[in-house]
Amino acid sequence: MVFTRTNDASEPTKAGRGSRISSPLPGQVALILFLLVLWELASYYLYNPFWGSRPSLIAQRLWQLAISGDLWMHTSTTLQEAGAGLLFAAVVGVPIGIGLARAPRLARLLDPVIMGLYGLPRVALAPLFILWFGIGLFSKIMMSFTMVLFIFILNVMEGIRTIDKDQLDLMTSMRAGRFYVVWTVLLPAIVPWILASFRIGVGLALIGAVVGELIGSNRGLGWYVESSGGQLDTTGVFSGLIVLMVLAMLANYLIGFMERKIVRWR
Amino acid sequence: MAVMTTEKRAVSAPAKAGSEPAGRVRAELRDLQISFRLPDMSTLDVISGISMTVSEGEFVAVVGPSGSGKSTILRALCGLLKPSGGHVAVDGVPVSSPPPGVGFMFQKDALLPWRTVAGNIRVGAELGGMPAEEHEERIGRLVKLLRLDGFENAWPNQLSGGMRQRVSLGRLLAYQPSLMLMDEPFGALDYQTKIAMGKELLSVWEAERRAIIFVTHDIEEAVALADRVVVFSARPARIVADYKVDLPRPRHMRAMRSDPAFTMLTEAIWADLALPS
Ligand SMILES: Nc1ncnc2c1ncn2[C@@H]1O[C@H](COP(=O)(O)OP(=O)(O)OP(=O)(O)O)[C@@H](O)[C@H]1O
Ligand SMILES: [Mg+2]
Repeated sequence: MVFTRTNDASEPTKAGRGSRISSPLPGQVALILFLLVLWELASYYLYNPFWGSRPSLIAQRLWQLAISGDLWMHTSTTLQEAGAGLLFAAVVGVPIGIGLARAPRLARLLDPVIMGLYGLPRVALAPLFILWFGIGLFSKIMMSFTMVLFIFILNVMEGIRTIDKDQLDLMTSMRAGRFYVVWTVLLPAIVPWILASFRIGVGLALIGAVVGELIGSNRGLGWYVESSGGQLDTTGVFSGLIVLMVLAMLANYLIGFMERKIVRWR
Repeated sequence: MAVMTTEKRAVSAPAKAGSEPAGRVRAELRDLQISFRLPDMSTLDVISGISMTVSEGEFVAVVGPSGSGKSTILRALCGLLKPSGGHVAVDGVPVSSPPPGVGFMFQKDALLPWRTVAGNIRVGAELGGMPAEEHEERIGRLVKLLRLDGFENAWPNQLSGGMRQRVSLGRLLAYQPSLMLMDEPFGALDYQTKIAMGKELLSVWEAERRAIIFVTHDIEEAVALADRVVVFSARPARIVADYKVDLPRPRHMRAMRSDPAFTMLTEAIWADLALPS
């Protein structure tokens, strides 16, 4: 599923000089291989692979899907849906978050509505969205969007709330203009929160897209999982799930990498 | 509270060597009252009737017990806080919003964590209206003055508390204020650095003749640096004493410590603050 990691990169060394701690990657790869071997063995001795498939079958299936081009077709569909939903949520959510943080009265007024919508199990909206927006890409984009939107709004609000009041007072005491304060204090302060929203949002966006596909579509990884399940094809189900898992992991790494590049001052 | 109540203002003090006679009034507080409304709706009187003036080029130190309202007074002077009564003026203009030329060095350093040492100092240069092409040179000089060489590109979270305070001082100096409000600027420094920074501050001040209001807990530091030492009482703050410091300038820390005038003054302030001896 989704892997969110809290990055507490406490590097005591001065920027650019110190040596890095040895990479955890070899250990991680070894662990995953070990789990796959366990799974493979279990499918021979503990259960019938009809119910739980096995890694070798899944690998074969992925290979076939890759050759036929279906793998890319499904993957790119789901990626487009989740990616567009995620970006759209950022574009809409960040300004809303900033606006609400700067208008505390309005934020207090809207608080029950926002928290209500946030608490709503939004996956349950999928049938409605299919009805409203059709079975094409758009309904899935909207699903991803609603899944992630509140992450951006709430994170950005929190980011602005945690800005040190002394920093703002200092700017005021030096007669800084509005634009200067936004540019030097407000935006830099919320960048880490926006990136964190992306990190958390990737998984949710994928969930949104997949749930949309489960309910109504004719392609995408969610659709592939659903249709495999309908044919009692557990290997197909696991193949789809594993691709989704890898996507979430890769996206997570990519964003973690960007965080380290952009937020160097942490 | 057995504090002395006599005002010991030496009204007709002779002008010190190398300084102008008291000039234009830069900052003025008249019968200042400040109280806060607490969450439980009671009011907390922090300042009850303080009057003082600071003239052009004057270095005034303020000492007083913790919580007596020293920081609060500085905030009122730079327009961050509206007094509940009385009059605050800078350069003769009543303060309603931050006046030009007033730089405030906060008790907390309030550095921007996403800007490097040089970047934080640059904030002062940018807001002080210095022409952009002079920034680099000015920042370079301040970095050297504040002994931050080699750390220009370090992030604030890689600095010690004392270094952060020096960066904060650098930002203040880069702003080139003509009235500097400094709230325990050397509080986090070790003794050596404190002395060194005091010397640097004095040399900057002697060269450019800015007015300074300098809040500190360190009585010796106050006497060593300032022209005047104003002593606040515990909250609600009143002025317990206002001493003229008639020690010759330039001041030499070492020699001064054995000067009887220095010792007498620190003793007197010590007594005003009702510190056990
Ligand atoms: N915004 C505020 N709301 C309520 N009370 C406040 C506020 N700001 C300051 N005070 C109170 O005013 C009093 C004086 O505070 P101030 O920070 O001016 O003290 P200080 O003399 O600078 O103390 P210190 O030497 O410890 O820095 C304190 O009792 C503090 O609790
Ligand atoms: Mg204070």
